Amino acid sequence: MYSLLKPCKTSAAFEAIPRERFSLDLDLCEEILKNVCTVVAHAGILLIVSDRCEVSIHRDGRLILKTDSIELAGEQTGRIAGWLEGTPAIRKHRDWRNSGRTNPAAGK
Amino acid sequence: MKLISLISGGIDSPVATYLMIRRGVEIVAVHMDNRPFTDEKNLEKTMTLVRHLRDLTGSPIKTYVVPHGPNHITFARNCNRHLHCLFCRRMMYRIAERIAEIEGADGILTGESMGQVASQTLQNIMVVNRAVKVPVIRPLIGLDKVEIIEIARRIGTYEISTLPGLCCTIVPRKPSTSARLVDVLGEEQKINLESLVEKSLEGMYVFSPEAL
Repeated sequence: MYSLLKPCKTSAAFEAIPRERFSLDLDLCEEILKNVCTVVAHAGILLIVSDRCEVSIHRDGRLILKTDSIELAGEQTGRIAGWLEGTPAIRKHRDWRNSGRTNPAAGK
Repeated sequence: MKLISLISGGIDSPVATYLMIRRGVEIVAVHMDNRPFTDEKNLEKTMTLVRHLRDLTGSPIKTYVVPHGPNHITFARNCNRHLHCLFCRRMMYRIAERIAEIEGADGILTGESMGQVASQTLQNIMVVNRAVKVPVIRPLIGLDKVEIIEIARRIGTYEISTLPGLCCTIVPRKPSTSARLVDVLGEEQKINLESLVEKSLEGMYVFSPEAL
């Protein structure tokens, strides 16, 4: 689900870039994630949760992982990706991809 | 003269604060705590910077830390996304103005310089200015980043300011660079600004110069 983990500008965090474009329903993400980790804040445009480290989840799927450890960032990215795998936005995206169409936006 | 200095963990505001202390101004520092949209390192850096300025100048600096994260959430959930940085700054000014009343200060001091970031265009500065009645002093307004960094290096704040610290994660991808006051006022009508200011003041805490 994520292809790139890069340090942010000041090296205080890592950014995980999704391999594919998403439009996450953050209300639904909150419903899912509150059962497995702590929801710190939901600002409508991004959701902040706390697990092994604090993570900002953006609507486009980007994650900001508040840690200076790339190992922890990678592990946390995997956990978040696993939890979000079942969300409708991602399932819908996968369906389009599996149908052979290359542009998920074409489904709109 | 006494000024309320809006100080972050960045490069500019400590330089602005230093320049005004050097002019004999008494400073009360106010740090707007943007967590959870930043991290605790920014608060730590700010406190280190304030201690450094105190030791450098011999000037005691009382410091307020004000929770600003809840204000960000309110703006993000209710108002135009592109204007977010303007709502943020106008709220910081309002809170600083209230602390100026408490402290008997004459105005607000900021590290803004013209055109440095999206929120600091002349038009946006004018819109932000209109949030308060007290004077806003900007000693860096005509300096460019290189000049500011030169001073920061000379006074020893640059090394502290450039320590790791998470940038604000709620900044919009395309912030407005030429906001219109009428649009900002219209958006702000969607929320209870006075209630936000009061809650921010209720949540703030103070470090006396001795406690730093």
